Amino acid sequence: MPQAKIMDISSHLPVHTLSNEELATVFPDWPAEKILEKTGIHCRHIAAPDETAGDLACAAAQALFAKGKVAAEDIDFILLCTQAPDYFLPTTACVLQHRLGIPTHAGALDINLGCSGYVYGLSLANGLIQSGAASKVLLLTADTYSKFIHPMDKSVRTLFGDGATATVIAATEGGAGIGPFIFGTDGAGADHLIVATGACREARSQQSAQALQDASGNWRARDNLFMNGGEVMSFSLTQVPRALDAILRKAGWSIHEVDSVFLHQANKFMLDALRKKMKLPLEKTPVRLADVGNTVSSTIPLTMQPLLDLNALPAGSRHVLIGFGVGYSWAACTITF
Amino acid sequence: MQEFYEGLAEILEIPAQDVHSGLDLTSHTWDSLAIVSTIALCDDCFKVMLSSQDLMKCQTVADIEGLVSLKRAA
Repeated sequence: MPQAKIMDISSHLPVHTLSNEELATVFPDWPAEKILEKTGIHCRHIAAPDETAGDLACAAAQALFAKGKVAAEDIDFILLCTQAPDYFLPTTACVLQHRLGIPTHAGALDINLGCSGYVYGLSLANGLIQSGAASKVLLLTADTYSKFIHPMDKSVRTLFGDGATATVIAATEGGAGIGPFIFGTDGAGADHLIVATGACREARSQQSAQALQDASGNWRARDNLFMNGGEVMSFSLTQVPRALDAILRKAGWSIHEVDSVFLHQANKFMLDALRKKMKLPLEKTPVRLADVGNTVSSTIPLTMQPLLDLNALPAGSRHVLIGFGVGYSWAACTITF
Repeated sequence: MQEFYEGLAEILEIPAQDVHSGLDLTSHTWDSLAIVSTIALCDDCFKVMLSSQDLMKCQTVADIEGLVSLKRAA
C-alpha cells in the first residue's frame, strides 16, 4: 500500500488588511495594544467585495504550481475545504479544475468544514492515495468569514481573517507518511458557532438582517457569524487534550518523540490555555497568528508553510496536527516528513 | 485560591490585592472575553468546566466560587 506525503504547501492572502489600529477606532474600549495582547493578532487580510474563497484558492494553487515542484497537469484529485463556496451549485472545486487547467480526468469535491477541515482533507487525500484512486491530490483550504461578520461585532471581527492554502499530497515510497487519524463530532454544539441564515433552513430576509446588541455590546444580525466564545472555549479545553492523547496512543508515540504539535490557530488566549493544559512547551507548538489571524481551515497549513519553505521540517521529523471548531468537529493526525 | 485570584486580577486588569469574594464583577470589564478567560482559569485552577451562561449571571467573585463548588460536588 503506497504511503502519502505532503510534497509542498503554498498560500494566498487578500491584499487588503485590517489592523488593530483601525479596529481600535471602531471599538474605543479596545486599544490596539490590548487587541494584540489578547488575540496575538496584529492584522488580518480581508477579501475584497468581489473576491471569493474560490478566487483565493485559485491564487494559492497558482502560487503552488509556480514553485515548480508540481504542475497542474499532474493533479488527479482536487479537494476544496470551504464554508464560503462561490455558489450553492456547482461545486467550487469543479470550477477550480477548469480555472487551474487541471486535467478533466481529475476528481473534484468540496468539503464543508471549518477549523478541523485541513486534517479531514488530509485524511481524504491519504485515503485516495493509499487506495490507489489518485496519485497527486491538491488539497485547497479557503474561507472568507469576513463576509459573514457584522462590522460592530468585536468578538469575531478582531479574530478572523480571510485566506487560502494549497497543499499537494503525493504517493511516496520513502519513510514519510500521513496518519493515523482520529476524528470527533458533536453536533450539539452547532448553535455556538453558526451563520444561521442564507442556506435552506432559513432564508435571508429583512428581519434576519436586523442587527441587535448583545450583553457585551456587540452587534450582529442572524445573517452574521455568531460565536459563543465561552462555549467554544469549554469544548476546545475538553476535546483537544483528549484528541492529543488519542492520536499519540493510536500512533504509539510518546509526546517526547514529537517534534511539534500544530494546533488550529484560533487565537492567543485559546492557544495559551490549551498549551498550559496539555503541558506543551512553546517551542513545540508553532504559532502563526500575528499577520493573518484565525483563517479557519487554513491556519494549520499557513503555520506549516514557512517552516516547510525553510526546510525546518526535515525528513524523519514527526508532527501532530489537531484541528477543532465549528460543528463541533475535530480531528488529529500524525505526519512524518 | 491565590492562583485563582491572581488570574482573575489579570483578567479584570486590576491589582491582585483588590480581588476578594465580595468583589463586584459588574463594576469591571466583565464581558465575553473576560468570561472566556475565566472558563480557562477555572479549568486550570479547579479542574471544572463552567458554562458561559452561568458565568454571565455572576455578580461577584463569590458567585463564581459558588459555581465551582457546585460543579465539584456534582
